[in-house]
Amino acid sequence: MKGDITIGAGTIVHPKATIFAATGPIVIGSNCIIEEGAIILNRRKEVLRIGDENLFEIGCRVECPMGNCNTICTRARIHYTTRLSSYCVIGAGCLVVATEEEILDEYTVIYGPEGERRIWSGRGRLQEADLRRKHAEYLREMLPKFNRLRRGEGA
Amino acid sequence: MDHPIYYPKSEYIETDTGNKVSRRATIAGPQNIILGGKTVIANGAIIRGDLRRTGPGHAVVISLGRYCLVGEGCIMRPPYKTYRGNFNYYPMKIGDHVHIGANTVVEAAQIGSHVEIGKNCVIGKFTIIKDCAKIADNTVIPPNTVIPALSLFAGSPGHFVEDMPESTQEMVEAMTKSYYSRFQPDPSSAAAQQR
Repeated sequence: MKGDITIGAGTIVHPKATIFAATGPIVIGSNCIIEEGAIILNRRKEVLRIGDENLFEIGCRVECPMGNCNTICTRARIHYTTRLSSYCVIGAGCLVVATEEEILDEYTVIYGPEGERRIWSGRGRLQEADLRRKHAEYLREMLPKFNRLRRGEGA
Repeated sequence: MDHPIYYPKSEYIETDTGNKVSRRATIAGPQNIILGGKTVIANGAIIRGDLRRTGPGHAVVISLGRYCLVGEGCIMRPPYKTYRGNFNYYPMKIGDHVHIGANTVVEAAQIGSHVEIGKNCVIGKFTIIKDCAKIADNTVIPPNTVIPALSLFAGSPGHFVEDMPESTQEMVEAMTKSYYSRFQPDPSSAAAQQR
């Protein structure tokens, strides 16, 4: 972890994740889960704002601001030209590179090797949110038993 | 084929049963991990034994068989789901003679024996890989896939390509055994330490 970073309450950062505020600050909301090997990088001057309840899976690389309840699957990469709104899913191994500034609509799902897109109907959203909430609760309980914690200044 | 692969002696810890674990691998919750013996865990691997099933008693999270290889930068973590409203992680079982390539992410529920997994693969949650299967490099296996015995899977999303030969079991066994015997400490560095 490097640079000016603010992390909200209840967010879980697994060991070996990287959060690097190179030029501008990073603000992460509450109840996010950032798994091992994930990289969050800010290469721009302005604040990189990440909303609440996002899930960053193993080895993903994110350089863009986003809203709430997004899922970035294993080893997906998103460039800084894109912005995610809410409830987006970026599939495993996808690469999102927009040539110009682009905002992905809510419920966008990107999948497959070519980065195909479609809109999710939103079915199962409550279940997904519930799973995420329980996952976060579980990790908050179990992780401190096996890992050393780094206390923030607030705690 | 017979050239030994040398590693600096100080970098790996060798156990009584012949497991070789890199000092630069991250192993969380080691009390919940079982290594079968003669298994090599390479540099930069991450194994999450801390994500265990809730409930009383001793819980085995990850069990690996004999003659396995966990490649460099590999991440192994057990899969999770909610079942009847309870969130839980579920154990991961891996058989004997399993080679996992570098930088692969494994969240499988079960991997049989004599399985080869390539480099840079993503194995989704609750995947079941049966005996003698092979996963090509850069494959993405979606969650809950069942990979049948003696099949080669490749692509993104991973799909069936061809059957493996019937001799796969002997070939993989010979390959993993020869890899383990070739993987030995660098004699020059050992000699330097003794001096």
